[in-house]
Amino acid sequence: MKIFHLPDLGEGLAEAEIREWYIQVGDTVKVDQPLVSMETAKAVVDVPSPYAGKIVELHGKVNEIIKTGAPLITFETNDVVAQDKPKGTVVGSLEESSKKWEEGDVIVGGAKTRTQQIKAIPAARVLAKEMNVDLNLINPSGPQGLITVDDVKQFMDRKPHGTSLPEQAEALHGVRRVMAQAMSQSHKEVVPVTIIEDADITDLPAGTDITVEILQAIITAVKAEPSLNAWFDGKALERKLFDEINIGLAVDTPEGLFVPVIKQAEKHSPAELRQIVDTYKKTVRDRSIPAADMQGATITLSNFGTITGRYATPIIVPPTVAILGCGRSREAVLPHKGEIRIGRIMPLSLTFDHRAVTGGEATRFLGTVINYLQGNN
Amino acid sequence: MAEITLVEAVNLALEFEMQSDPEVIVMGEDVAKNGGVFRATVGLLDKFGPERVLDTPLAESMIGGVAVGMAVQGLKPVAEFQFMGFIYPAIDQIINHAARIRNRTRGRMHCPVVFRTPFGAGIHAPEHHSESTEALFAHIPGLRVVIPSSPARAYGLLLASIRNPDPVIFLEPSRLYRFAKQEVKNDGKALPLDVCFTLRVGEDVTLVTWGAMVKETLAAADKLKEEGISAEVIDVATIKPLDMETILASVEKTGRCAIVHEAPLTNGVGAEIAAQIAEKALFSLKAPPERVTGFDTVVPYARLEKYYIPSEKRIIDAVYRLMEYA
Repeated sequence: MKIFHLPDLGEGLAEAEIREWYIQVGDTVKVDQPLVSMETAKAVVDVPSPYAGKIVELHGKVNEIIKTGAPLITFETNDVVAQDKPKGTVVGSLEESSKKWEEGDVIVGGAKTRTQQIKAIPAARVLAKEMNVDLNLINPSGPQGLITVDDVKQFMDRKPHGTSLPEQAEALHGVRRVMAQAMSQSHKEVVPVTIIEDADITDLPAGTDITVEILQAIITAVKAEPSLNAWFDGKALERKLFDEINIGLAVDTPEGLFVPVIKQAEKHSPAELRQIVDTYKKTVRDRSIPAADMQGATITLSNFGTITGRYATPIIVPPTVAILGCGRSREAVLPHKGEIRIGRIMPLSLTFDHRAVTGGEATRFLGTVINYLQGNN
Repeated sequence: MAEITLVEAVNLALEFEMQSDPEVIVMGEDVAKNGGVFRATVGLLDKFGPERVLDTPLAESMIGGVAVGMAVQGLKPVAEFQFMGFIYPAIDQIINHAARIRNRTRGRMHCPVVFRTPFGAGIHAPEHHSESTEALFAHIPGLRVVIPSSPARAYGLLLASIRNPDPVIFLEPSRLYRFAKQEVKNDGKALPLDVCFTLRVGEDVTLVTWGAMVKETLAAADKLKEEGISAEVIDVATIKPLDMETILASVEKTGRCAIVHEAPLTNGVGAEIAAQIAEKALFSLKAPPERVTGFDTVVPYARLEKYYIPSEKRIIDAVYRLMEYA
């Protein structure tokens, strides 16, 4: 038999109150097993077992107060190691274990292997990240190899050209400048697909106004596939389809490319369309065309075949989503109702923005154009 | 060589130094007969007698004052405050006298005293038993503030603190007192008081911490390693004066830094470290420094304590934020 007396739970506290017994008479306990929860004037503390053995008697009930040094528990034990040395868990409870302190190798001071990293002004880091520039490629000009904002800018200026232009280079103005900007924007943003196909125009009557014929083919095709007559906003991922068909018509001049717009083309007769085209050719040539006549295109026609060239990969002008290119028509040997004949074909190249238009829509559109030109409408 | 806990390492260092230097005195509330509130001084009374192991009245201001008096007259007192929240009555003695004696007397006197106290939360105790106000002392010229985070460092740093000719505030993380055991050689070898300790060598991010937060920080570093993020872990140990050389060299290598401390955010020691990083290593930084700290509140009672102490997850999340930058 061994009587375990309530140890000093610290700071010379005279007594403690029993809150909860974790064990009962007859239980077998191990050393350090929590026996009882005691509340001191300061905190609630678990009292661990000092012995291994069997519980014979509990010297108090819950809520009773036990004086420090008074009997708490009687054990039946062969444990000869007196473990009732107080551990001094006075206030609160300490996490206690005999597990090993795993620290690995501790270095007094710093680790010696040092690899020098790039030094850059924070704004230069931000700029390089935004512009997707690798800091490793930049020549630092700042003190102690520091990359400055100017270093990043200089690197970006150098990057696209490779070589810089001679100093007497001509700055772009007017429509050339607009073309350069529009084409750059298109190249950056648009996801273009070009489909090419020939239209057999052998059966078109002599003297047919080809340009007007193509305009009408576009009008017919837009009615069949409205999604090509649209504007697209890649950032907002929004598209707008139009009821009216405003066809931009690419016109070449020595000053550059003009694209006057045939507004509401679907409302005009062939004769009216011809008149509008002629007017535009004139006003473009004598530079009297008002700016309003070159805005608002919903689809574009480039009739480059009047100059030369069969097929092309025409470039879409954002925010429109389609451009039809007509190459130079020519005679060709064609199969016709089981026979060979010499006919006339017009090569067509349709570029569409695959972000806004499906391949099905685009090919059906081109099919409709061809059917119209072949007189199958 | 024995495997011992952090609090046993404190006891071992005290015993070693009392044995080898008869001028070392241990004093404080219940340190002699009772062996100290956490038993850090247990057994010393029996070995060295009541002239060298003194139970004091419950009067911290007096403990501070008597210790200063002993120190300037040639003794080497190691005074214990039972908890960090009880040190404040002695602050007048510590700041106005201990920290300034050398300067005030133009070097004729100095004050080789160690003020020891457990600190930090995580032991389910009331708030004045749980706080981490190390920044108060780190702000005071003339004080050295030392915080061990393992049994080996508790032993070596306490020896160094006792041997230091000027006052040392020695803060013992009570949460780690008996957390685990480490082999400590009782050879009387002191550790340096002016360097950090690098616990993990890494390449991607530097984690700077001290005291009990070393535990969560090492755990976070080990988790991050599994995800392929290699963290360098620095135990600052002496937070005043700061070994910025080690911290800056590491940050210049990794380009990313999170400072982890249990004390509240505002004006914590982390602010000083972050400021020095900004001044001296800004151009090596790939991301703004992060501070993972306790909150600007009184330490909550037991039930909310775990939300107050920076968790492994909060440290890992901070590292994730740092890694988002190129």
